[in-house]
Amino acid sequence: MAENFEQHSDISAADLARLSQEAQAEATPSTAKIIWSEFKADRPAMAALFIIVGFIVFVMVGALFIDTPKMMETNIMAYFNQPFTPEFWLGADSGGRSVAKQLIVGSRNSIGIAIGLTIISSTFGICWGLISGYFNGYIDWGMQRVYDFMMMLPMTMMIIVLVTIIPHYNSVTLTFIFSIFYWEGTSRLIRSRTLAESEKDYVAASRTSGTSHWKIIFREIMPNISSLIIVDCTLSFAENIGVETGLSYLGFGLPSQTPSLGTMISNANDPNNITQYWWTWLPAALEIIILCLAISYVGQVLRRAADASQRQGAAD
Amino acid sequence: MSLIEIKDLKVHYPIRTGFWNRITDSVRAVDGITFNIEAGETYGLVGESGSGKSTTGKSVVGLEKVTSGSILYKGQDITKADNRRKLDYNRDVQMIFQDSLSSLNPRKRIEDIIAEPLRNFEHLSKDDEKLRVLQLLDIVGLDADALYKYPHQFSGGQRQRIGVARAVATNPKLIIADEPVSALDLSVQAQVLNFMKKIQREFGISYLFISHDLGVVRHMCNNIAIMNRGRLVEIGTRDDIYNHPLHIYTKRLLAAIPETNVNQREAHRASRLAVEKVYQEQQSK
Ligand SMILES: Nc1ncnc2c1ncn2[C@@H]1O[C@H](COP(=O)(O)OP(=O)(O)OP(=O)(O)O)[C@@H](O)[C@H]1O
Ligand SMILES: [Mg+2]
Repeated sequence: MAENFEQHSDISAADLARLSQEAQAEATPSTAKIIWSEFKADRPAMAALFIIVGFIVFVMVGALFIDTPKMMETNIMAYFNQPFTPEFWLGADSGGRSVAKQLIVGSRNSIGIAIGLTIISSTFGICWGLISGYFNGYIDWGMQRVYDFMMMLPMTMMIIVLVTIIPHYNSVTLTFIFSIFYWEGTSRLIRSRTLAESEKDYVAASRTSGTSHWKIIFREIMPNISSLIIVDCTLSFAENIGVETGLSYLGFGLPSQTPSLGTMISNANDPNNITQYWWTWLPAALEIIILCLAISYVGQVLRRAADASQRQGAAD
Repeated sequence: MSLIEIKDLKVHYPIRTGFWNRITDSVRAVDGITFNIEAGETYGLVGESGSGKSTTGKSVVGLEKVTSGSILYKGQDITKADNRRKLDYNRDVQMIFQDSLSSLNPRKRIEDIIAEPLRNFEHLSKDDEKLRVLQLLDIVGLDADALYKYPHQFSGGQRQRIGVARAVATNPKLIIADEPVSALDLSVQAQVLNFMKKIQREFGISYLFISHDLGVVRHMCNNIAIMNRGRLVEIGTRDDIYNHPLHIYTKRLLAAIPETNVNQREAHRASRLAVEKVYQEQQSK
């Protein structure tokens, strides 16, 4: 059969190397390159990216050098120690425990949970939405009823109940418990875009080209909704930092011996702390605000870049 | 034996209504059509918008679930997915889509788009595959530097030629061309049609050429079927249809072809109105 093509085209194997080199020179840049050039063009976004990455790396590595049980021991001598002293950079809380060290370990715990939660719930939500939207019919119907059921459950209450029932839990189990309740929004969003995308002719063309359903879903459709996925993931990451923080603040997140941003902010429950001992809660609150702002800023740039590469016209 | 035999094909879409989503009625998009396509010929399927042409085309290529009837290829009924798989059916029957932009994945480079059927059906080595893609681009008159570009970087006519290249990649026996040029302007239409004709001569491909434009069909097809509301109202050779139309619906479609000769414009208009009047009378009965 190959001869058939040889016969009707002047191009032969001898030209292959030359032609593909020529084509390479004319090639359009890849998506990763476009995203990078978008960041280079936008300095504040670059700064935001460095803040996020730098901070995450710092707390992850820093927490390794801190002996948590020892840090959490009560030290009466340092009762509400003032900040900016050589031993206590950010002061100490009512138990005389270093706020700076708690902040590092607490951030590691909170951000770790947020990352884990984002990865698990977004992956699940994206797959659920893609499959439900692509297959349509009975599969979609069934999957949407499960979705409806999950939406019906009062989320916060369920988490509080689960956390109370389960006797021993830590960051990992907590992440999984949260994940059960946080994939729905993503899945609905992805499903609606997938429904529209599946109608397009390139999906039909892939089917007549003999491509399997799974490949069509994840290799053809998913790249086309990547900008939506990126934006949704960054936003849910910012939101997920708040999830753990909020519950720990209420006292239903991580156990109180485990420092987290939420347990630190709950120091502000005490009116004395709010006015006199501001250093016990303010750093954690500021950290959350800065992180969330930086993340949503980066999300915006990613979306712009992803849209640009969808058009591709705006390349470099 | 014909290349493909379509027998009493029906495609009905259910209409669901009410709280329980029960099927209360159905849209008869294709309602019992029968015709054969011979090897190497171009078979024209003509009808106005909504008459069920695309649905017929999609059923033949295996994209649409058929309600009843059969489509025989190599003696097997390919309305069943099992038979399609056994025959590697889509290696032999491919499709060119109406909207060239939406039929090419915007996130894929041209090389990957054209190579997609090759990867699934032929399993060539990397170099052979790239060579084949380059040859295909050459055959449809595109340069090699198209290889690593994205669909939006091409004009409508170029994109449609990329669609043609993808359809012929596995050297199929039949290509369903669903209004391949109706989204293009006139000069580009001729260009794409000429490439399609050239490819037909060189590879001996059959086309099922779907169009609402009898003018275009006249250039491409030897046998023509006229479709109206899911049924075939007239089947014949080009000569039959253009010179001795029997059905009033066909006459009406013919009357709708614009007359280029200025002197005959008035006469043409009069005859069109006359045909329209008869058609309306028959419709109201
Ligand atoms: N998925 C679907 N669900 C319900 N009805 C449909 C569906 N697809 C098509 N139809 C209906 O079937 C009929 C035939 O549609 P089809 O797309 O085959 O028409 P067509 O002849 O190709 O028209 P056009 O020239 O506009 O492309 C139309 O009335 C359409 O509304
Ligand atoms: Mg159509």
